[in-house]
Amino acid sequence: MNIIDFFSLTGSCFAILMLGSVSIRLNLWLYAIQTFFMALSTLSESFKFSNSELAIISLVIIIIKAFFIPIFLNFVIEKIKVKSDSGLIFPVPIGMHLGILFLGFSNLFTLEILKSLPEIHHSGNITAGISLLFTGMLFMLLRKIAVSQIIGFLTLENGIFLLGVSITHSMPLIIDLGVMLDILVAIMICGLFIFKISSSFEHIDVTQLNELTES
Amino acid sequence: MMIIAQIILTIFLPLLMIGIIRKLKALFQNRTGPNLFQPYFNLFKLLKKNQVISQDSSFVFIISPIISLGLVIFLSFLLPWLPFNKAVFESNIFLVVYLLALLRFLTIISAIDTGSPFSSFSTSKEVTFAVLLEPAVILSFLALAIFYKNTNLFYIFSSNQTVTLNQIPVFILFAMSLFLTSIVEFSRAPVDDPNTHLELTMIHEAMILENSGLNLAIVEYTYSLKLLLFLFLMSSALAHCLLIWWHLSVFAMTCLTVFIVFLLLILLSFIEVFTVKLSFNKIPNFIAYALTFSFLAVFSAIVNRS
Repeated sequence: MNIIDFFSLTGSCFAILMLGSVSIRLNLWLYAIQTFFMALSTLSESFKFSNSELAIISLVIIIIKAFFIPIFLNFVIEKIKVKSDSGLIFPVPIGMHLGILFLGFSNLFTLEILKSLPEIHHSGNITAGISLLFTGMLFMLLRKIAVSQIIGFLTLENGIFLLGVSITHSMPLIIDLGVMLDILVAIMICGLFIFKISSSFEHIDVTQLNELTES
Repeated sequence: MMIIAQIILTIFLPLLMIGIIRKLKALFQNRTGPNLFQPYFNLFKLLKKNQVISQDSSFVFIISPIISLGLVIFLSFLLPWLPFNKAVFESNIFLVVYLLALLRFLTIISAIDTGSPFSSFSTSKEVTFAVLLEPAVILSFLALAIFYKNTNLFYIFSSNQTVTLNQIPVFILFAMSLFLTSIVEFSRAPVDDPNTHLELTMIHEAMILENSGLNLAIVEYTYSLKLLLFLFLMSSALAHCLLIWWHLSVFAMTCLTVFIVFLLLILLSFIEVFTVKLSFNKIPNFIAYALTFSFLAVFSAIVNRS
C-alpha cells in the first residue's frame, strides 16, 4: 500500500461512517472530510506522475466540493430547519455494516478488473472508487430526507471521479472543470428546489412525494 | 529488572489513573476536585471496614472477586501493554479473549448470587451489551492476527518489527475499536454515568451494590487494573504507528506510551463532561460503531496482508 491508496481508502471509510449517522450536519462534515481525503489522494498522484493538471483539479475539488458545497447545504438545512434523518428500510447501523460488505465486494471486483488491466498499480484507489459508488447508492436508498439524497449523489460522484482518475491517470483539464461546474450548478438548483418543496409541502420526505395531489 | 518495573506499575498505576480521570473531570467543570491520590485513601478505608455479606449469598459471592483479581493480574502478564514487558507465558489472542469473557462471567455470577433485584436488573443489561460487544473485541484482536499470521500478541507488538504504511490502518482501527469497546465495557460516559447513584439506570455500579469492605476494594482494584490494561494496549498500538518515522529506544517508547495514555484519559474525561448518557435503546447503535471499526480493521488486514 502506498500513500495514494491510504488516502483514498481513508476517504471511503469516512463515507461508510456517513451511512451510520442520522444527523445531517454530521453527514455533511463526513462528506467534506471524505472529499478532502479524495483530493489529497489525487494531489499525491499528481506529484507521483508530475502532472500539473491533476494538481489543479485537486485544489479545485478542495475549494468547491470540500468547502463550498457543505457550507451551502448547511445553510439550506438551517433555513428549512431539518436536523436529523431516519433510516428507511434497515436500522441505521445495519446500513453501515452493509456498506462494509460492499467495500469487501468492491475489493473482489478490483481484483477482477486488475486481471484485464495489468498496467495499473493502485488497486486501493479503484477499490475506494467502487466502494464510494456503492456507498452513495446505499445512502440514497436508505434515507428519507431530500438533502440526504443530494449528499448520497455527491458521494456517488466522488466515486466516479476517483475511478476515472485511477484508471485513466488524467483526463483533460477542461472536462474535469466542466464536470465540477455542472455539479456546482446542480447542487445549487437542488438547494432551490428543496426550499421550494419544503415551503409548499412543509416537509421534504421523499417517500411521501409520490402523492403530488393534495387530498 | 524489567519485570520488577512492570509489577510496580501494575500495583501503583491503576488507582492513580482513576484519580487522574476524576481530577481532569473536575478541572473541566471548573471545580478543584478531589486529591489525585483519593482512590488510594478510599481503598485503605475500605480495607479497614467490616464486610457485610447477605445471608442469601453463597461462597460464590466471596470467592469470585478474588478469582477475577487473579485473572486480571494473569492478563497483565499476557498482554503486551508496555513496550518493555517480555513474554512470561505464551500469549495467545484467543486465550486473552476467553479470559476477558471469563472475567465478565465471574462479575455476572457474583452479582446474581446476592439476589438483590437491582443487581440482577443491571446484570441483564450488562449481558445484553456483552453479547453485542463480544464480536467487536474478538474481531479487532483477530485483525492483528490476520495481518501478522501469528496469534502471539508479544510477537505482534514487538518493537523490532519493521513498520510500513500497511500496518498503520490496522493498528489505528484496532485502537479505535478498542476505545469504543472500553467505553461500554467500563461503563464510562455516553453508555453509563459512573457518578450517578440512580439504581435503575446504572450498570456497573448497580452490579457491585452489595459488595462492601475488602470485597469492594478488590472489585474496584480489578476494575481499574482492567482499565489500565485496555488503555495501555490502545496506546501501544497507536505508538507503534509512529515507528514508521522514528526508530525509538525502549525507554522513549515507554514515555510515548504513557503520554498517549494521558491523552486518552483527557479524551475519556472530556467525553464524560460534555456528553449526556444515551438512552437504553440507543446504546446498540453506539456499539455498532465499535463493530464497524473492527470490521474495517479486519478488511484492511486482509487487503494489506503481504
